Amino acid sequence: MHILLIEDDVEAAKFLIKGLRESGYVVDHAAGGREGLERSLAGKFDLIITDRMLPKIDGLEIIRQLRLAGLATPVLVLSALGSVDDRIRGLKAGGDDYLTKPFAFDELLARIEALLRRRTRASESTHLEVADLQFDLLTRRVTRSGREIDLTAREQKLLEFLMRRAGQVVTRMMLLEGVWDLHFDPQSNVVDVHISRLRQAVDRGSDRPLIHTVRGAGYVLREEP
Amino acid sequence: MRWPRPRGLFQTTAFRMSMGYTLLVTLAVGVTLGTTYLLTQRILRDNVDLIITTELNSLQDQYVLRGTHGVTAEINVRIDSWGRIGSVYMLASPRFKRIAGNVTNWPFDGAPRERWPEFRIESIEPGQRSVHPVRAAVRQLSNGDWLLVGTDMSQDERYAQAFKTATLWGMGLSVLVAAIAGFAFSFRLSRRVGAVTETCVRIMSGERSRRLPVAGSRDEFDALAVSVNRVLDRLEEQSLTLRATFDSVAHDLRAPLQRLRGRMDAVLRLADLQPELREPVESALREVDRLQRTLATLLQIALAESGAPLAAVSRVNLSALVGELVELFEPVARERGLALTGHTDAGVFVEGNRQLLAQLISNLVENALKFVPAGGRIEIGLERHGALAHLAVSDNGPGVPAEQRRGAGEPFTRIGPRADAGGGLGLLLVGAIARLHHAVFALEDNEPGLRALIELPLAAPPD
Repeated sequence: MHILLIEDDVEAAKFLIKGLRESGYVVDHAAGGREGLERSLAGKFDLIITDRMLPKIDGLEIIRQLRLAGLATPVLVLSALGSVDDRIRGLKAGGDDYLTKPFAFDELLARIEALLRRRTRASESTHLEVADLQFDLLTRRVTRSGREIDLTAREQKLLEFLMRRAGQVVTRMMLLEGVWDLHFDPQSNVVDVHISRLRQAVDRGSDRPLIHTVRGAGYVLREEP
Repeated sequence: MRWPRPRGLFQTTAFRMSMGYTLLVTLAVGVTLGTTYLLTQRILRDNVDLIITTELNSLQDQYVLRGTHGVTAEINVRIDSWGRIGSVYMLASPRFKRIAGNVTNWPFDGAPRERWPEFRIESIEPGQRSVHPVRAAVRQLSNGDWLLVGTDMSQDERYAQAFKTATLWGMGLSVLVAAIAGFAFSFRLSRRVGAVTETCVRIMSGERSRRLPVAGSRDEFDALAVSVNRVLDRLEEQSLTLRATFDSVAHDLRAPLQRLRGRMDAVLRLADLQPELREPVESALREVDRLQRTLATLLQIALAESGAPLAAVSRVNLSALVGELVELFEPVARERGLALTGHTDAGVFVEGNRQLLAQLISNLVENALKFVPAGGRIEIGLERHGALAHLAVSDNGPGVPAEQRRGAGEPFTRIGPRADAGGGLGLLLVGAIARLHHAVFALEDNEPGLRALIELPLAAPPD
């Protein structure tokens, strides 16, 4: 996968590039807005990560130009601003995800993965299946090896979020945003508590647990540990 | 937030003013016409009086020259012309018996006391009887006879009547004209003032770049609009400058933290990282996270207190939001041996930013989670109180002493034991978010425990 990173903070970019390459991505770096725009318009990238504030041409302008040129390359915006309306402005301009600095590298990796998978994901299906776990989205019925699992509406939403991203690491922040539509970081371990309740319902009594904790990053739902 | 608008035309200053002017105009017209009438009346009367005095003098001269006979003759001559000049004459004995003249009976009871007595006289003119008002003067001759000379006033009375009619019509018409003009004036005025009000309401509700309409007529309204627009330009400019300053401060604080995190993340990913180094780096990373959270809160407080307008405003279903947050925090509370419940009126809507409101409630709940010992209760209440929504997070924990509750959520106020572990900053943020939403935030005694109350202005539910 080929990623373009547009970031004028050379020091920060250095660590990002190193980390991304170690994670198996091919990374190009543009240190300015103009260069970033020219290279993104070339259109050979699977994902563009751009800083929000860049000299001359800023991140949002790059996205606008990109969309104007008809390119649908997913864009992840990194921002050192991060007040409630900055996020909305970033997404309105055509950004696909928005991450406020400082962020954990694992958070970035999880979001990159989510954006790249989203592109290839098939059209909305009405049925989700991971191993022996089944979720009928029409009847809202969840079964594990044929045994029905009773879940609250919110637990169902949480499970659906995880099943749609089966095999991908999802972070606590992604869950808060995607399941509760909350874009701030509560101090208490709310997400962990909800996951552990879901885990109780889904994995209890099974010798093959599906919901796994990824140390320092978040959670993943998948067959093999 | 609701802004006052005059309810109808009758409530506008313009209308009241024009009604006042109509009254004034009517009064002025009435006084002018009335004065003219009285002055004219007086001139006519003076004229009549002059004629009467002249006639009396000339008849008295006749008496002096030719005696009673002379007067009688002269009167008879003059009577012939009655129809033309409308004069009445009478010569009467000292006991008021008629000697000569065109009046049959002495019209008064003895000698009249007034200088210009008036009476009515019946006369038979060809074809009809008519009554004429007469103004007269009486003089006693040296032989004791009474001489009376009068003038028919019916002309004057008709004139007066006509004048009265004209005055009433004139006043009526001027009232009508003034009222129509007033209506038109107040309509135009309230339309222009209304446009100003409308624009102000729109600006306050977030359309910052809107300006007052300038009609181009260079009148006082244009002058006002231009001045107000200049003030608005200035304010917008300041708010943009403020925003830019804020952004660059946020950037300068977050960027180094990002580099710090990047370095530490890179260390943790080292394949040959010695195991005894992992724990200290991870613990340092947790401190960075805490610093970052504090920084985010501080930046948000700063932005909220800077007077920058509330961003991303929409109509928020507070009932639903409270329900969701109760559901979010309930398992956490249960895990800590606390009971978290919600008691909410349905369909409570406020104008605001959903994320900030959620953060406000979360901060209060997490504050309670932190300080209420196991076995305690936390309750989120949402009630309608007139035009306000009362949002309350109550607990039966240790509470906060009264002197520390005062001024909670205001800058530079810290709350004793609860100020530790970020509680104080969290309450500052609650206060800042409350103020952004034109809400009042207060800490109360829950007897026992703490009750954080937010009073928000209600908004109408969306259509």
